[in-house]
Amino acid sequence: MTLLAFARGPALQAALLIMIAGIFWRLAGIFLLPPRAQHAAPRHSLAGRIGGGALMIVSRFIPHHTFWPRVAMSVVLSTTFHLGLAIILLGGAPHILLIHQVTGLTWPGLPKGLIVISSGLTLASMIVLLIRRITHPVLRMLSTVDDYLSWLLVFLPVLTGILLAGETIGGYGTLLALHILSVELMMVWLPFGKLMHGALVFAGRWGMGMNFARKGAAT
Amino acid sequence: MSSDAKAAAPPAEVPNAGQVAAAVRGFIADIGPTVALALSSCVHCGRCAEACQFYVQTGDPRYTPIHKVEPFRRAYEREVGPFAFAYRLLGLAPKITPDELARWQELIYDSCNMCGRCSLICPMGIDIAELVERARHGMFAAGLAAADFLGVLAEKEHATGSPFGLVRSQFEDMLHAIGRDHGVVMNVDKGTADIVPTVSSIDVKMYPASMAAIAKVLNHMGASWTFRTDGFDADNVSLTAGDRAGQRKITLGIVKAALACDANTVVMPECGHSFTEMRWEAANAFGEALPFRVLQITELIAEGLSVGRIRVNKVPHSATYHDACQLSRRGGATAAPRVILEALGVELHEMEDAGATNWCCGGGGGVALIKRAQPLMDKAFEIKQRQIEVTGVATIYTSCSGCRQTLEHGGKARNWNKTVASLLELVADNLKD
Amino acid sequence: MDDRETMTETLCAMLARRGFGRRSLLQFAIAMTSSLALPPSVAPVMAANLAKAKRRSVIWLSFQECTGCLETLLRSSSPTIDSLIFDFISLDYQEALMAAAGDAAERTLREAVAANKGQYLLAIDGSIPIKDGGVYSLTGGRSNVEMLAEIATNARAVLAIGTCAAYGGIPKAYPNPTGAVGVDDLVSGKPIVNIPGCPPVPEVLSGVLVHFISFGRLPDLDDRKRPLAYFGTTIHDQCYRRPFYDQGKFAKSFDDAGARQGWCLFELGCKGPTTHNACASLKWNGGASFPIESGHGCLGCSEPDFWDAGGFYTPLAGGSPPGWRNAGIAAAVGVAAGAAAALAARGRAASARHKAGPSPEETP
Repeated sequence: MTLLAFARGPALQAALLIMIAGIFWRLAGIFLLPPRAQHAAPRHSLAGRIGGGALMIVSRFIPHHTFWPRVAMSVVLSTTFHLGLAIILLGGAPHILLIHQVTGLTWPGLPKGLIVISSGLTLASMIVLLIRRITHPVLRMLSTVDDYLSWLLVFLPVLTGILLAGETIGGYGTLLALHILSVELMMVWLPFGKLMHGALVFAGRWGMGMNFARKGAAT
Repeated sequence: MSSDAKAAAPPAEVPNAGQVAAAVRGFIADIGPTVALALSSCVHCGRCAEACQFYVQTGDPRYTPIHKVEPFRRAYEREVGPFAFAYRLLGLAPKITPDELARWQELIYDSCNMCGRCSLICPMGIDIAELVERARHGMFAAGLAAADFLGVLAEKEHATGSPFGLVRSQFEDMLHAIGRDHGVVMNVDKGTADIVPTVSSIDVKMYPASMAAIAKVLNHMGASWTFRTDGFDADNVSLTAGDRAGQRKITLGIVKAALACDANTVVMPECGHSFTEMRWEAANAFGEALPFRVLQITELIAEGLSVGRIRVNKVPHSATYHDACQLSRRGGATAAPRVILEALGVELHEMEDAGATNWCCGGGGGVALIKRAQPLMDKAFEIKQRQIEVTGVATIYTSCSGCRQTLEHGGKARNWNKTVASLLELVADNLKD
Repeated sequence: MDDRETMTETLCAMLARRGFGRRSLLQFAIAMTSSLALPPSVAPVMAANLAKAKRRSVIWLSFQECTGCLETLLRSSSPTIDSLIFDFISLDYQEALMAAAGDAAERTLREAVAANKGQYLLAIDGSIPIKDGGVYSLTGGRSNVEMLAEIATNARAVLAIGTCAAYGGIPKAYPNPTGAVGVDDLVSGKPIVNIPGCPPVPEVLSGVLVHFISFGRLPDLDDRKRPLAYFGTTIHDQCYRRPFYDQGKFAKSFDDAGARQGWCLFELGCKGPTTHNACASLKWNGGASFPIESGHGCLGCSEPDFWDAGGFYTPLAGGSPPGWRNAGIAAAVGVAAGAAAALAARGRAASARHKAGPSPEETP
């Protein structure tokens, strides 16, 4: 079996199944713990609390004034990275094609040049983020193997992707195989490390938003 | 876990294995989906450090808020997490060592006000302040609640209901004496009343006038009210120490006292944690919705002002207002003080970041009760000092006796010529008859 | 001319007999040099060598094949020097073409091998089944495996013609019931040239033969033993629709508006980017057209396992993900495992609480 056939076939199946099983395992392990009943009289109605939950998912992207400029660097880098990645994933024609194959949904893609620029910005922000993680005393203290591994497992797909889109370095078939395999590696690790924040962030912000709306606390 | 930070406060005595086991039990005893999610979600972005007055003022990365609960997180993943068996099997979350637990005492107690600024910035929606509060349960169970004032006061409170070990008759005498001294009618232990006010132990110790102030306001309102010596001191030092049983005892004592006289409102004093405890946690300890409202004193006054039940004279002067973290950011009672100040005609010069996003005074969450934490607390206070100085005013109002005490203490150390005053007392002194 | 005379005459003489002069040979050499991606200075050398060239013996064994490769090589719209080259090689054994059959054929094969020991080119088309002792493809009762092993021993080089011979081809597609493999899997110690394609482009074979006849050695090969001159680039690199690919203009379905404008067929499963062959430049039927030009994506037929590459109409950007059913099972397994973990957690927490005492949440 060629490497590409392996990547598009058995490896894709194994990686997706492991990722799906892992995600559900982790979520079930968290959310099937005994919940704590809240009996205190809420300040807002259920509708208001649901609204609070939804609002916090969005509002947490921009920190409050009191935290600037100390978090400016972190926010700019992180936003650039995530937005860049979103543009690549949701705007890149091959990715839309893959989503279409799996879900039937489709939408117009962005011009390839934009995707390449976005990829460049994403890679650049990732490199700066890594340097920051290694040099900033707080980040260096907090960081574990998971942080660096997760970085690598996201960096490789973006890197192989931009090389593939550029079509100047390496054979298309080999690069495509490496690109797909690198994504599969990321998928396999995802449920078990910090990459899971892709799912947890919504639950966390939602929960805090609802809870804080209940109390009228600052959000 | 080690860091090259500046010299830290001397660590606690190293616990034994049994204590460590007790800590782990305390950590994992009541983890539900919210805490589990919180402990699973950190992406090590480091923003919480930038929100915390202790990190910002010292540059010591150990004061990174989420780092303060690392033993708690490890216990979670190792014992009750979704992949606990793998964590144990592969040694991914090493067992907490006695030495680590000793070193973490400072991080969990001395360097955290549970002020919630970290919770406000966390992009993952982790309520780190709540995690610290939970982590203290484990530390207390291990006998590692910071030993000096905090530990001692918590012990006394658990035993007697008062951090100073005062008994009901002493409260009664004290209240009557205050009534006499201030010329105020004091209702004590009436059988039936609509409103039951409570006080904080700091008021008992340092600001007895505030108890007279509560009485004045309630009398002015013509309310049916009574102090209850069986549910009097709401300070709940047990909460800040991590003593779950003591916390429950104090809270339910007040609930029972309110039930005993058929009250429809319990009023919390000028105090931060007592409000969040009563308003947001008491019903959970009770097991069902409370049959009475819980209002912080500023909420009661603001309500009274808006319906005309309380009338005040204007006393125009410049001042600023310090928001107690538990009242505004954590408790949702941000608007009330400003309604009051406006009614009093105070020319309010707001600090930068005033309101729910304000900086903590540095004394909350029990830190002011830890002697060895004084230098750290003073360092954190510099932020508050700068905030106040920029406003250019000479008077600072606050509605939390803990903050009031911290502000006065900080001010004295700096020989500043500013006055720290209670908003409640300002109202009480300017009631329109 | 009798057989002995034809065996010894040079190519130049043979061409002259057919009415092609030296100039034609030089023009042919120029075209061939370009086709082989050799420098232009080589053309006169090639022409001179070709002129002097004597007949080469070629033994052609057809194994587990559909005969498509042979058919395509025999088709030519008009007599060209390419087809004459095939005349010029001494095709000493080819079961479909030769007159002899049965025992006579066997004898012919033995004689050809003996007469040209060490010198003949062995051309193979079709895969070689190895399962169950190779019983699935026999000639005269002998298995392909056995024949290949014997005949390859004394060959100068082996040409694996078509994807079946090169990589196993269609018979090797899942579940490969006959155990089909390519020549390279069985022959070692001999130069092998793979000329894949299903079928291969006819001019590719003639190019390889011309090179061999002219220079006495095989052309440069890539890492899959394919002539670099023809397989060094992908369809994608030479495709006339490439500008549309670069602009992001893709046909979404066959014969839709975009398709009718000649837009790129990537989204309809074209494997051009990963397929090495000369179709986009040499094209088929004497340069008439090639699949993409006719509106159908490249199947990738010159690459190994192209039948098992996930589907002709599944774009390269897609693959063979697990179906919703299997995904659902994975989710269920995950939930079950998580639930088990949560159950165990509840137990540990309860035991911890039991040792620790009443909690604030317990009712009075």
